[in-house]
Amino acid sequence: MPCARVIRDIKARKGVGANEIARRAYLMVARNQTLPTQVRLHAQMQLNTFGRYTRPTTVNNRCHETGRGRGVISEFGLSRFQFRIKALRGELPGVHKASW
Amino acid sequence: MNAAFMQPSRLATLKQLQCNIFQTSYNPQSLRTGAKYFRARLRGPSMMAYYPKTFDIAQITRQYRDLEIVNEDEEERFQDVLERKRRGKGAPKKAKSAADSRRLGKKR
Repeated sequence: MPCARVIRDIKARKGVGANEIARRAYLMVARNQTLPTQVRLHAQMQLNTFGRYTRPTTVNNRCHETGRGRGVISEFGLSRFQFRIKALRGELPGVHKASW
Repeated sequence: MNAAFMQPSRLATLKQLQCNIFQTSYNPQSLRTGAKYFRARLRGPSMMAYYPKTFDIAQITRQYRDLEIVNEDEEERFQDVLERKRRGKGAPKKAKSAADSRRLGKKR
């Protein structure tokens, strides 16, 4: 069972995926300067009715192993310490400790 | 002919014609059209694929009820709860009113 923050992040990811197209359409109308102000305002109001977890900025890449939200190496999806542990164990192909 | 000697209106006409030929939108005032929200790729699918799939016994037992898979950890937990209840160590009854409640009755 992942930690609560990861569950929240998964929820946000699902919300973003489900509402992305509708949100994009409203964004396009709201930011379009060639449309009448009333229409744009209405689109902006509609945008504000979407929930918190439909915005892509609420998604945060977390560590696959521990759920840590900071110091995550994006290429491996692991936090820096988990990355070190796995690399030293030889579980990450092509990664080995530098020595010269 | 040098562009500096051309009249602005003629330059605008030229631009309009250019847009017509190359099928681009003529937008002399550089107004925002919101096209970038349609042009950008959808980020949802890759976002949903971020976490690797985990094997969840609880979900599988829920999905295939007719197979009657036994989730041993869950059974053990359930037995522990029953045992605790028998010894009078279970969770307290839900409060029906504020007077029964330990939390709601308190002054804060």
